[in-house]
Amino acid sequence: MKRECFCKWNMSSKNREDAIAELIREFSFQKTTENLLQIALETRELAEPTIVHEGIAMPHCRSILVDDFMIIIGKSDSGIPWPEKTVNIIILFITPVKPSGPSEHMELIKHLAKTLRSGGAEKILSAESPSEAASILKFSYGGNHKDE
Amino acid sequence: MNKELEKLISLHDLDVMISDLANKDISKQEKKLGLSPDSAANELQKMRDELASTIVRKNRDLYEQLAGHYGNAVVPVVNHRCSGCFTQLPTAFFTSQDKNDLVETCPSCGRFIYWCD
Repeated sequence: MKRECFCKWNMSSKNREDAIAELIREFSFQKTTENLLQIALETRELAEPTIVHEGIAMPHCRSILVDDFMIIIGKSDSGIPWPEKTVNIIILFITPVKPSGPSEHMELIKHLAKTLRSGGAEKILSAESPSEAASILKFSYGGNHKDE
Repeated sequence: MNKELEKLISLHDLDVMISDLANKDISKQEKKLGLSPDSAANELQKMRDELASTIVRKNRDLYEQLAGHYGNAVVPVVNHRCSGCFTQLPTAFFTSQDKNDLVETCPSCGRFIYWCD
């Protein structure tokens, strides 16, 4: 799956809400879109914290506010409460709502489930660089979105 | 952006989330990740109903009617066209400074429309 992802290393957030906001900001949306995406992702988290492995959270949703896949990997060495367990890696993605349905969204979740369950989770937790993390998840590394 | 329009967009995104979690294939993959899509969908449904109750009755009723008919009640405007029915929107729609300042509907299909960033 050669989707592009961005990375945010050394995250400064100390809680889940701030962490989601810190990662969404990297996409450089306008403020209203940022806020609405934050609400969508937080709502999903309130329904159930998306911890997919010890130390790894995966906030995700589909939204009509994006027209392409938006994927970012965040890393915090000190850890972020999510909220009851601490995570060090956050794989956040937002996929577009297309007339063809949710098949591409499903394929991305399937890809991540397969990769994380086959040793990828342990590897990404010890990844030393953003490009290594992207490569573990078989994404192409797009750098830091704000640097573009 | 108009607050009511923001709520309609959030309602749409919540409906998409609930529908995704009810999708057999997505649910299966979420379970493989250790998540609980069924209970998450139930929680989201409660939040959805709570949000819907804060939307002006006229808009909420129209939203439900459109969602039932088309599957999607809120769509972005892309290249001056409603992305639900692809009808070119009249020029009058593009004169406002903040195009998302009002709750607007497509004159052809009736879906709620908003302008992307």
